[in-house]
Formats: sequence, C-alpha cells, structure tokens
Amino acid sequence: MQVITHASINVESMTTSQLRRIYSIRQLRWANKTPIVVFVLPSQHIIHKNFSKNILNIFPYKLDRIWNKLTFSGLGVAPTVVQSQEELLKAVSITPGAIGYVDNLNKEADVNVIKISI
Amino acid sequence: MLMLLKFQYSISDRTWNFYGLALIAMLFIFKAYGQEENNEAWQVHGFIAQGLIDVNGSSFVNNDGALSAELTEIGINGSYQLNDYFRVTGQAVYLDGGNRYVEGARIDYALLDFGVYQDEKWLINLYLGRFKNNNWLYSSTRDVPHARPSIILPQSKYFDGFRDIAMGSDGLSAKVVYSSDNFGDFDFYFSYGASSLDTEDVKLLLGDLVQGKGKQDFDAQASLYWQPLFSSWQFGVSVLDSDFNYERSNTDFFYDAQFSFQQISTNFLYEGEKWEFSGELTQSKFTQAGFYFDDFKKGSTGVGVYLQSRYQYNNQLSLLLRAEKFYADKKDKNGSKLEENTGGAIPRYFGYQNDITVGASYQLADNFRVDLEHHWVEGTSRLTPVVMPNTEVNDQRRWNMWAIQFMYWF
Repeated sequence: MQVITHASINVESMTTSQLRRIYSIRQLRWANKTPIVVFVLPSQHIIHKNFSKNILNIFPYKLDRIWNKLTFSGLGVAPTVVQSQEELLKAVSITPGAIGYVDNLNKEADVNVIKISI
Repeated sequence: MLMLLKFQYSISDRTWNFYGLALIAMLFIFKAYGQEENNEAWQVHGFIAQGLIDVNGSSFVNNDGALSAELTEIGINGSYQLNDYFRVTGQAVYLDGGNRYVEGARIDYALLDFGVYQDEKWLINLYLGRFKNNNWLYSSTRDVPHARPSIILPQSKYFDGFRDIAMGSDGLSAKVVYSSDNFGDFDFYFSYGASSLDTEDVKLLLGDLVQGKGKQDFDAQASLYWQPLFSSWQFGVSVLDSDFNYERSNTDFFYDAQFSFQQISTNFLYEGEKWEFSGELTQSKFTQAGFYFDDFKKGSTGVGVYLQSRYQYNNQLSLLLRAEKFYADKKDKNGSKLEENTGGAIPRYFGYQNDITVGASYQLADNFRVDLEHHWVEGTSRLTPVVMPNTEVNDQRRWNMWAIQFMYWF
C-alpha cells in the first residue's frame, strides 16, 4: 500500500496523525497553502478497507460517518470517490494538490510517493 | 442557489415549499446532466428512503392505528466551491412522517461557508444563512436515513415534534476544529439564529385549536467534543437557550404567551470494530407564561437519557439495542401532579415516556440498505401536540410500533 500525491507536492514523509487529519477533513491545505484534494475508493473496496484499518488506524465505517456528517450537514466537503485504482491514480496525477492511495504503484506513474511513519 | 441564501423570518410555509422543491428539482437535473467528471468544485449528493410503520396504541404517526406508508424521506444537496475561502451549499428535503412532523418539502440548510483560518492543526469556519444544528450527537444527520442509528431516534433528545425547530436556524454559526498530536481532536460549535414557524408548526406544538401566530425569538447553542488521540472514545457536552412567543388572533380561545427553553446535555460514543456504544443525558428547563389566561405561569425541568449499543455481526448485518427514559418533569416522575393539576383531564402517563428498541440493519448493496426495528413504549409525553395533548386517541399507557425502511443514497 502506498500513499501518493500529485507530483507538485514536495512532501517526502508524513505521520499517521497527519494523514488522519487529511482523511478526516481536519486539514484542508498543504504546508505551501495548496488546497488538498482527497481521492478514495468506494467504502466496500478491499483496498480502501485495508488503507483505512492498517494505514489510518480508523475503522472504515467511522470514516463514512465523518464524511456523511460533512456531506449532509453543509459543514464541509467529503473526499471524491473513484471506482478503481486506475482511476484513482489518474485523478491524483492530473489534479494539483491531490492525495490518494494504491496497492501496487507502476514505477512510471507521475506521482509523489509519501512515506508514512507512526 | 445564491438567491436561496436570502432569508426572511416571515417567509410563508408555501414559499418554503416552493424553494425546497425548486432546489430539489434543480439539483436532480444538475446531477443527471450537468456534473462534469472530476470537477471537484461541484458536489451533489442525496438520498431516497421509503418505509412502512405500524403504531399500535398511540397517535405517534396516525390517529387510526393503521399500517402506514408515511415514512418517506427524500433529500438532495449541492456544494460549490467559489474560491479558496468561500463555498455555497444547500440541501432540500421532502418528508412525510404522519403526525411526527409537517408533511412537505423544506430547506434543511442553505448557507455561505467562509473558511476564516486553516493550518495543519486549526480549522475555523463561519456559516451564514440557514444552518443545521451540529451540536448534538446525531443532530446533523437525524434526517439522513443511512447516517443515523435507527429509523426512529430517541425521542427524549430527538423529539420529532420539535424537528423543524431543532434541525437548524437562520443566522450565523461557527466551527472551530483543533487537532493536537498529544491530546487528540477538539471540535467546538456555536450558533445563533431563529427558525420561522408556520401555522402547521404552531398547531403541531400547541394544539389544533390555536388560531394565532408563533415565532421563535432566538436560538443560541454551543457544544464541545473531544476525542482522545487514537482513541475509540468521544465525549461531548452541549447547551441551548431559546425563546418563543405566541400572539393570539382576534377570535382566539387562547392568550398571548411566552415560552422559554434551556437545555444542557452530555454524551459519549465508543466506536470499536464490532461493538459500538453511545448515550446522551439531557436536562431541559421549560417555562411558560400566558396562553391559557394572561397570568398563567408554569415551569418544569425534564430529564431524558438513553443508552444504545450496536453490534456489527458481519459486513452486511448489524444489530441494535437501546433503552431510553424521559420525564417531562423530574419532580413529577410518575405524572401524578400533572393529572391532579389538570383535574384528571391529562392522564399521568403523559408525564413520562420510556422506550426499549431492538433493530437490525442489512446492507443490500454499496449504497442500498434496509433497516427494521421494534419499539416497546410506556408513556406518551413525547407525542404531538405538546402543550394540549391528544388524550382521546392516546388512552393507553403502553404502546408499541415496528417499522421497516429501505434507503438509497448517492
């Protein structure tokens, strides 16, 4: 599992806490003030479940609740859902400020890979 | 949509219905034809839910006790990011819940979101317009079928008769979020505004015989939530202060009145992999001056509490168990004073309402679910109308209901 961003994001590593802030929509901008655009796979997707439980340490249903609350209360904007890894990789590579995750990354992909530490 | 941000407290219910339906139609059309792929500035989401509900022994949904399809909830919302700091968003819903609330379309929220400040740890937003109540554990998702814990929420806290007033207000609200690497996540909400009350809302609250006008003077709320770092627990506290008035008509049976409502509440939530526990304890002070005659005065402090558990049996099925107690006046828990003070006109079981709920939720597909639940209820103090209750239909201390609801969301 690899966490990826748009190639213009100059970040090499990130803590789990930082990543959780981004995926729970508590941090909306990168350090250089670029708006963060979060991409995810559908909630029932096995790669999303693995990412949520093993990388973020949040149960997937809890992420759904955070995003539902934002979406249906007007408080904020939930991540954009794409249907496949290929779509996600493409979206992250062409969207400035984007972040996402993939199970297996093609070495030729034009994205920035972030190392996650505890 | 900007037009919808112009609010007037005196706007009529018919106009609200028109705005609500217009927003629903516009967003459905946009969703079907207008949304460009990967255009993150625009977001459109919604839900459709339909169910059956059968209540035996009370007027919770209808007065004849028949099986009812008055369990319809349709909603759609849109959000557009204008620039780095401003966003407009709105949600319209159509509801049909029988006696629980007024049937029809309404705007849940329509607001301008101003991102005042944000860095890695702080997030501060101001919301101007009609905003949703975000202060209670489930207040912001109480009308979103797939995002709430049961079809019928605990009435001690989420009383359907107060739904449109408690749902949100027209005014200003603020959200302050702080994420600490040592202590966890803190969320603070504050809001100040008022809701417009139409004729049907007033009748639902006070009784069918009223002819005058009701108005909410103000509604101020605040809350603080804390989730310790990497913890499955969350703790919250909220406060509310609100005033209403009633202005009699020339031919009215009743008099001008002032109603005041203050509430303090605390809640907890545990979210584990299989088990989830939550609960809310609420104390509400209610005072009334006037209405029955000019010098009439009444005051009471009600208390409500519920404890809820949910078990995730597998990826599709979860089970729910909840116990709830509510006393309209904590100094009159069995309602005997209520019965005595009204000369026996209002039976004592209108002084409390207790509920045991069991339920199941089954995920049929990614965005398609069915909920099923049964309630065993004792007491009738959380039925509409509130001030002049319907004692004719509600002539039993114990009543029960079951409901099934199918829901789809996008």
